[in-house]
Amino acid sequence: MEAIFVLELAVNGALTGLLYSLVAIGLVLIYKSSSVPNLAQGALTMMGAYLVLAFAQQAGAPLWLAIPLAMVTMFGAGLAIERVALRQLAGRPIVMILMMTLGIEIFLRATIMAIWGGASRPMGLGVSYDPLFVGPLLISRVHLIGASVAVGVFVIFLFFFRTRLGIRLRAISDDYTASWSVGIPVEGGIALSWALAAVVATVGGVLWGEVQGVDQALSFLLLKALTVAVLGGLDSIGGALLAGILLGVLENVVSAYLDPLVGGGSRDLVVAAVLILTVMIRPHGLFGRHDIERV
Amino acid sequence: MFYRQAGIRHTDYGADRELFPIRADRYMLAGLAVLALAAPVLVSDLHLNSYILPWLIWTTAALGLNLVLGWAGQLHLGYAAVMAVGAYSGVHAARFGVPWEGAILIAGVSAALIGSLFAVTALRVKGLYLALTTLAMQFVMDWVLTHSPGITGGSHASLQAPPFRLLGQRIDSDAGLYYVALFWCVLVTVFLLNLRRTALGRALVAVREKDYAAAILGVNSFRYKLVAFAASAFIGGITGLLLVACFYFSVSPEQYNVNVSIQVLAMVIIGGLGSIIGSYFGAALILLTPGIANGLFASASDLLGLQLSPETLAHVPNAAYGALIVGFLIVEPLGLGKIYGNIRNYLLVWPFGYVKK
Amino acid sequence: MTAETDAAPILSLNNVEVIYDFVSMAVKGISLSVPEGGMVALLGSNGAGKSTTLKAISGLLKAERGRVSRGEIDFQGQQIVDMPPQARVTMGIVQVLEGRRVFEHLTPDENLEAAAARSLTSGQIAAEKDRIYGYFPRLHERRNAQAGYLSGGEQQMLAIGRALMTQPKLLMLDEPSLGLAPFLVREIFDIIQRINREQGLSVLLVEQNALAALEIVSHGYLIENGRIVMHDTADALRANSDIQEFYLGGSEGKNFRDIKHYSRRKRWLT
Repeated sequence: MEAIFVLELAVNGALTGLLYSLVAIGLVLIYKSSSVPNLAQGALTMMGAYLVLAFAQQAGAPLWLAIPLAMVTMFGAGLAIERVALRQLAGRPIVMILMMTLGIEIFLRATIMAIWGGASRPMGLGVSYDPLFVGPLLISRVHLIGASVAVGVFVIFLFFFRTRLGIRLRAISDDYTASWSVGIPVEGGIALSWALAAVVATVGGVLWGEVQGVDQALSFLLLKALTVAVLGGLDSIGGALLAGILLGVLENVVSAYLDPLVGGGSRDLVVAAVLILTVMIRPHGLFGRHDIERV
Repeated sequence: MFYRQAGIRHTDYGADRELFPIRADRYMLAGLAVLALAAPVLVSDLHLNSYILPWLIWTTAALGLNLVLGWAGQLHLGYAAVMAVGAYSGVHAARFGVPWEGAILIAGVSAALIGSLFAVTALRVKGLYLALTTLAMQFVMDWVLTHSPGITGGSHASLQAPPFRLLGQRIDSDAGLYYVALFWCVLVTVFLLNLRRTALGRALVAVREKDYAAAILGVNSFRYKLVAFAASAFIGGITGLLLVACFYFSVSPEQYNVNVSIQVLAMVIIGGLGSIIGSYFGAALILLTPGIANGLFASASDLLGLQLSPETLAHVPNAAYGALIVGFLIVEPLGLGKIYGNIRNYLLVWPFGYVKK
Repeated sequence: MTAETDAAPILSLNNVEVIYDFVSMAVKGISLSVPEGGMVALLGSNGAGKSTTLKAISGLLKAERGRVSRGEIDFQGQQIVDMPPQARVTMGIVQVLEGRRVFEHLTPDENLEAAAARSLTSGQIAAEKDRIYGYFPRLHERRNAQAGYLSGGEQQMLAIGRALMTQPKLLMLDEPSLGLAPFLVREIFDIIQRINREQGLSVLLVEQNALAALEIVSHGYLIENGRIVMHDTADALRANSDIQEFYLGGSEGKNFRDIKHYSRRKRWLT
């Protein structure tokens, strides 16, 4: 009985973890290309979800149209954020870059709240809340779908990074000057990575909106995504996927045992502890490059 | 104009090492000191304790963070956690019956102890990774506070501070509280002003610029990082307690959550890294912006005849605050301190712009 | 200045000055030209301004807070001083950076692909790659290894191959012999010469290894302290006694008085 309980926690944790990976992939994309840790990724996720709702409910578009429309809008928003805010700060101390992304986070979150209000709304994908029975295990349908999408996104990026455009992006993340020397437009590549991260954030926003409702809590996913990204190695998308599973399982299992002891809510503590331990023990994460002193 | 200098020349080292080498600066400071002392007479009680008093306290907090961020160059995204340690330990001590002087010391020391934990991380990593760890520690502190009824008196409770007394004197008037905040702020400012003239200050700057280069020169970089974190936490702890004693009168976890850390960080950055006067400007701007934005937005929407929900208006200040941070970093990443410095440099030798400064 | 160029120049610099960080002048008025289809060497010691000159031509100064403060750079009759680096690559100017700088986390194959001119179709890219592997068969053997783990010579070949993928008209090489064994230097220089001959590619070669460089180029410029101090055909430069003493190591058994004598003459040269 006990073993099955733990297994169920682990499986559902892994599925949730893959959903964290989905948000973390956006962070990794940006960090990979420009070494900017995007603390606004949570707010971008929230913005993506609200845009889908805006297209679906206010403009009356069906969901299958609203989601791509939101993705296109977010693509533009990603380009704009890089062009207006981040490009100016190239070469500045990391603390200013962090502050900039925090400022963007605060601004986006408050602006969204000001426009659409704070009440939580359903995303309305229409996924049934009845759990799936797999043998003796109960599995959440939404999480299963979300996890499959996360794996799908990962596979898409796996292929993308083998295309000519993807290879150029990887070249940029390797060496700016060498990229310039063979005519690769470095600024354009970084802008593209922001745009892609914003699109991925929209996907994350839709799924997380379905899981927990569309409200400002979506932006709090940042801490979890950040932990997943650091644990995976900040510049490794595959790392983010595995780290997501790892964090999801840990969080679910540990908090199940810890919650009764401390009176609930120990999930965030587990996440923060994983972040601290990762940085202290293995700062470059599971699969990151070792050159972390480029700050 | 009012500096009336034709360049800065010193005839001996003493003059060069003075705190304020320029005479006009000294006059200006004397004037400011008189104004500061006379403020309770000049300014209404409302303005004194809802604008000037919090401004002084938050300035002190920003100065404390600036010590570790601007001087020692160590990223710290968990300053509110340190302030919380000071506030809770001090309030508990005072409630236990320790005199407030002792409680203030306890606040400083306990915050310095916890703050040194942050420094242990700094031994291992730096830059982005240090920022992330300190941020995570802030989250841990948030969690501990909201989940430890023993410390906070329940998850949503606030803990009342006992009546504030110093030197046997009950302090409850607006003017009295103001003078306490002023005294602490001036003390910290003078400490930081002097810091740059000391070996400690120079060692901190050396560690900031390149820690391993400093280590090669014989500066024990870990020791100085530890000193910076501990000193800054000491200041933060006392400031956190004074915030309760002089302004909030009670303490609850959300007064010291992650948003507060970000707010103090924003004060430092908008003020300018390592700039003392910048911290004053930065704190003022961050505190005033939401109110101003709210007023402007409300009157603008009145003017245009828009019907805005109260919810919209409630989020406008925050949006303005975020926009302010973004805008400042785009326009002048070195902050208000740098802008002040530029104006001052221009006026310093005005009208002799060609003079070497 | 006796050397006359027989073909029209593909590149000419006229009195170019470069300033770093608004203050320090690294290049103080350089004029030089590379004939269409020719091979020219830019020789000089450390810090003379050779790399800076190349970066002024390729536009990479901007990555180092430098800029051309005066003078003209003319490529095929067009002024390029204000163009971004990408535009110059599209026009056909490419620089192989000093110290190789391959994309370390990519494979050699991907290194070449990353640099491929954007107008090429994938079929053309494959053909280009084959052409480059034809010049550098060793790269073909290691095409799927991680570039960071290639040997120094292989990385230099990859850097040159990568530059060739941009379909340049002018190839600029910054110290390709740096840190390589003499036989590898010979091999690489032979290939450069072959490409020059077969494809009519113009080459501007920056070298400290003057002996090797003067064997393959037709003309050479000597740069010192940010100024051109000598310009002649390769044969004439090789025969020049000053060059022999200062750069070719061709003098023997000098005593201390003679060394003082060099520095006096060297100053005169500048």
